[in-house]
Amino acid sequence: MDFSIRPANVEDCKDIARMIMELAEYEKMAEHVKVTQRDLEQDGFSKNPFFHGIIAEVPEQHRTKEGHTKIGYALYCYFYSSWVGRAVYMEDLYVMPEFRGKGIGKALMRKVAQLGLAAGCNQMNFTVLEWNKPSLDFYFSQGCFDITATVGYHCMRCEGEALERLAQP
Amino acid sequence: MCAAVNMNFKIRRATKEDCKDISRMIMELAVFEKMPDQVKTSHEELERDGFCQNPLFECLVAEVPEEHKSNEGFTIIGYGLYFYTYSTWKGRSLYLDDLYVMPEFRAQVSPPPVQASVTTAGGNGIGKALLSKVAEVGKKNQCVQLRLTVLNWNTPARDFYAAKGAQDLTVSSGWHFIHFTEQSLDDLVNEAPKD
Repeated sequence: MDFSIRPANVEDCKDIARMIMELAEYEKMAEHVKVTQRDLEQDGFSKNPFFHGIIAEVPEQHRTKEGHTKIGYALYCYFYSSWVGRAVYMEDLYVMPEFRGKGIGKALMRKVAQLGLAAGCNQMNFTVLEWNKPSLDFYFSQGCFDITATVGYHCMRCEGEALERLAQP
Repeated sequence: MCAAVNMNFKIRRATKEDCKDISRMIMELAVFEKMPDQVKTSHEELERDGFCQNPLFECLVAEVPEEHKSNEGFTIIGYGLYFYTYSTWKGRSLYLDDLYVMPEFRAQVSPPPVQASVTTAGGNGIGKALLSKVAEVGKKNQCVQLRLTVLNWNTPARDFYAAKGAQDLTVSSGWHFIHFTEQSLDDLVNEAPKD
């Protein structure tokens, strides 16, 4: 199947917001999504963006039943590791179910890796749910390591009231 | 060692001149985490990456006055290194890469023999002050989340963050941290599709 991979632009935010929700539904966490199309436009396409996006697009003749041609995305940021320096963090990688198995996910991930290496990154990191076997198998086949399983790193998060309390001087 | 009660310390933004101390403490933390061979950064790289026009990270340091300097003579005795990131669910976030206070400044008072201390505090509050300052910086920049990783065997750290309201997403939801090293990243990029 013919497809193209390109950097996202501000006009893609509507489709990115749609696919963020589809991915969250797959991960059984749709109620956690608070980010809107407008947030993505402001946070990703201003002078100092918080993230960068890559879009996978198919020609019109392959559009979905609902008429979408933007059928996958990757969203990434730059991390800094005090041990190795700049790293790329892939926040999301998603391909609509009917377009899987055609190398689109791998092409998206490769693009993020290319851009990361070009920006001087020495590592690429992301998180995956432990029950998401198709994703884990895919990532392991690309040469990744699960450093939660092997080294014991746990992902921690502080938000809401707890973060407010912490931020009080 | 007894706690130095009411130890005077301040938390401030790191300067380029602090990078030698930050580099020293990065290694101390890596030694504690049993991975010193993983540290590849030098203080020159920290100077370049953190103090250029578009810095890749920000850093806070904890400083004590001369009269409280460490056994080796250091007055920069803790740091918090963080950067801005993004959650597609919640929005702007901060990621805390490192939080460290030199052991002699954690100053845990031995619990009285009859009754265990109810908290891990009893130290000087330097770790908490660093963490709070990071959270404050995040709040000023409309960040709605603070993320970090902790090693599963590092019970004092896990207890510290849990006490501050952090959730362990690995335990609660099964999130695992996945990692491509430089070699496997190169392999991925070089494996170009045949057109």
